[in-house]
Amino acid sequence: MIGRWGIAERAADVPETRAEEIHDDRDRAVEALFSEHRRSLIRLAVLLGADDAEDIVSEAFYHLYRRWRRLRSTDAALAYLRSVVINRTRMRLRHLQVARRQLQRDSGESPAVSSEALALLRDDQRAVVAALASLPDRQREALVLRYWMELREREIADAMGISPGAVKTHVSRGMAALTRAMEERR
Amino acid sequence: MNDRGTDERLRDALQALAAGVPETPEDFRAASSQWRRRERRRRIVLAVLATVVFVVADGLALWALNQADPDAHVIFSDPAPGVTAPQDPSAVPPVRAGQP
Repeated sequence: MIGRWGIAERAADVPETRAEEIHDDRDRAVEALFSEHRRSLIRLAVLLGADDAEDIVSEAFYHLYRRWRRLRSTDAALAYLRSVVINRTRMRLRHLQVARRQLQRDSGESPAVSSEALALLRDDQRAVVAALASLPDRQREALVLRYWMELREREIADAMGISPGAVKTHVSRGMAALTRAMEERR
Repeated sequence: MNDRGTDERLRDALQALAAGVPETPEDFRAASSQWRRRERRRRIVLAVLATVVFVVADGLALWALNQADPDAHVIFSDPAPGVTAPQDPSAVPPVRAGQP
């Protein structure tokens, strides 16, 4: 049985010889993924609001390394990495929201994006990022995957673990909310 | 402001924010050795936990058996279905010839 990201649900589902081949190539394949996609995954985590993007990406690669034997293809590996980064970032943000609820109320600003990163942006860009940070998690994730990673709906759905229809809904609602927020700012 | 304008502004802001993320050195060898260490530690912890659970369960079972009264036969104390207990011959009334 093949689950999400093409990861077999049970080790027994992977033929023995294929598993050995996968195991032999694991280090090389993970190294290739690491050198090719690590930077973009760190940026993805930052854009989603993670304050410890490197730790999250490192954790994602560790999970991939651990589950490599049960992976179907390298394409599935990238989708799996994105998915772990998104889920870990969401968990981290929820943890931070609970921890900093009082601080957030006082400052009126979302803690999602670091002040160092915001300092480099123009005012209008900062306003867009602030509006993006105020969106619900799912809408923010869909917008970042769509407008920064330029992924297709199917790829976004795989990364977020939802249906393509739900992706469309999150993107359109997110864009509507962003447009409203920008109009209010004017 | 229309949706098209929001699209462009969102792309622009996301690219600017992504460009501001500092470059960090990539050291695959260090990272992979850390993953191996974590994996080894995880396996050891799992093995220790499984051993502890097994030993505790065995210990409890042995203790419970040791506490039981050797004379009490709690298993198969009831007669099996279809098997009748032997009757006392003296309790059976004698059958006399000629009686129905």
